[in-house]
Amino acid sequence: MEQLIVSGLAMGSIYALVALGFLLIANATGAINFAQGDMLMVAAYFAITASAYLSLPLALAYLAALLGMVVFGLVFQVVAYRPLRDKPVFTTIISTLAVGIFLRHAVQLIWGVMPLGLPGFFGNQPLQLGDAVIAPQNAFIIAVTLVLILVLHLFLSRSALGRMMRAVAQDAETARLMGIPVDRVVVATFVLSSLLAGVAGLLVAPLFTVSADMGVLVGIKAFIAAVIGGFGSIPGAIIGGLLLGLVEIFAGAYISSAWKDAVAFVILIVILFVIPRGIMGQPISEKV
Amino acid sequence: MSGRELEPPRGKPRRSIAWLAAGGGLVLLLLLPLEVPSRYWLHLLNVAGIYAIAVLGLNLIVGYAGQISLGHAAFFAVGGYTSALLALNLGVAFALSFPAGGLVAGLLGLIVGGPTLRLRGPYLALATIGLGEVTRLTLINLPGLTGGAQGLKNIPSPAFGPIEIATEQASYYFIMLLLALAALLTLVLERSKIGRRFMAVRESEVAADCAGIDPARAKLLAFSLSAIFGGLAGAVYAHFIGYISPDTYGTELSILFLTMLILGGIATVPGAILGAFVVTFLPEWLRFLHGSYMMFFAVGVLLLVIFLPSGVVGAARRLWTRWAYSGDQTEAEREARAWWSRLTTP
Repeated sequence: MEQLIVSGLAMGSIYALVALGFLLIANATGAINFAQGDMLMVAAYFAITASAYLSLPLALAYLAALLGMVVFGLVFQVVAYRPLRDKPVFTTIISTLAVGIFLRHAVQLIWGVMPLGLPGFFGNQPLQLGDAVIAPQNAFIIAVTLVLILVLHLFLSRSALGRMMRAVAQDAETARLMGIPVDRVVVATFVLSSLLAGVAGLLVAPLFTVSADMGVLVGIKAFIAAVIGGFGSIPGAIIGGLLLGLVEIFAGAYISSAWKDAVAFVILIVILFVIPRGIMGQPISEKV
Repeated sequence: MSGRELEPPRGKPRRSIAWLAAGGGLVLLLLLPLEVPSRYWLHLLNVAGIYAIAVLGLNLIVGYAGQISLGHAAFFAVGGYTSALLALNLGVAFALSFPAGGLVAGLLGLIVGGPTLRLRGPYLALATIGLGEVTRLTLINLPGLTGGAQGLKNIPSPAFGPIEIATEQASYYFIMLLLALAALLTLVLERSKIGRRFMAVRESEVAADCAGIDPARAKLLAFSLSAIFGGLAGAVYAHFIGYISPDTYGTELSILFLTMLILGGIATVPGAILGAFVVTFLPEWLRFLHGSYMMFFAVGVLLLVIFLPSGVVGAARRLWTRWAYSGDQTEAEREARAWWSRLTTP
């Protein structure tokens, strides 16, 4: 039972991190990045390259992978978003989907189709906490996510750049009139989002294997988590992520593991029926 | 909004040239199976024809009604499985199982469309991806009915009484006939009140609502019709190929359908067909790329939405309009035509 809760919260933390990445970009630009899940996969391959091929120590390899994600976020922004920022929404949906397909096949071409393994900082020795037995990696995931959320909160509420990001998210036009360099803030948003996906990738990779498709379902489920929480709301995305992780793990354990991946979609449909604006959502109306 | 106001401006376009080209094209199409390089080519032509029917359907919801869908493969799957199961388990004739495939897919569209079409843009994209994934999972996890991950084998070829459509050549004429009917139907729809309602909703739901159109109903109708097309195409596909499995119907197939539509030209009938044929043959033409084909495909899609978002036919149509009406008299007429071409090509 405790074990299920911990692994549910751990998976939920991953969804929350990826969902936050979705949100930051969506709030700043109105675009949804359908390659967010694939970014997570890219980070895992970066780390494998740094540790296995360049034989860096693990901590350095992780750091190198995150640096790689900064560059990746910059390039991604230039390729998939910038040329389409004034075009209809559907064009960025297609362009980010295309980048996702590209990444999955590029990765297979470079690292092969066989799944690889990324070592974590802890072995597989389970941790005894009172009566509960938990996997150390799961505890690590939850701890890192908590710290990251706190740091993100401080960054968005205290730092100049974070405040600029929030201003752009609220109203890009007005922000521009106030002298905020909107374009550069958008670039920073993409980098931050890429970093969040990267951290999620490095955290989740030691739990499973690293393969080209590892990010696809995580990305879709994280998006669902954001919608469950009420799209646009940061606390909503975190709550939605954790909730989805928990429900999924319990459904997998008590109902059917074959249908585990369908649970997220069923929740999505139920939420859309019952509370279309999500748990923490603001009422919305179409702009005329 | 009355139909009158959306009437295309009448002028003196060089219609005769268009008719001549269409006639020539038809003769060429009829003679094509006698002169293809190989049987495999003919097979690909047939697959492309089936895809084109599905893409014509996708065009109704994406092109005319302006609602993105990444779940079209679900209808293609449901149509295929319905028709194949009817034929395999109950021995139902193709003439009945084929429309049944379209009907069941259309019903699924009607049921799912209600809640999902309230969503817009990326959220709708997400929900339709969900539809596709859940459909695929259902096909895998109901092995008693659907054969599970192994799928269904030995699906009989389409047959009408004693006439069996078994060879690639016979299939070619059968599929092209169906495609022609589907194209004709969408062309009629495009010019009908219903089609204009779809386009009005695409341009602005609020404005359409004010003009007395129920946007929710228009979208649901477009979605259900598109599902029927997808289901019918899927049914033909199942009987033509003879073997189906859940692997065929992933989200990548939905993305493929959407790519065909965008490449050819969104909201155009010739574009939907052209796109289906080009994208089906692309892997053949780019064989030298081997394993890296999908990478180049993705780059191509990216370049497409950046540089040619209205597709080949959309761009060609704009050039054609400019040329065909180049001798225009008044400013008002030119404006009316520019407005019409904006309306018909988003």
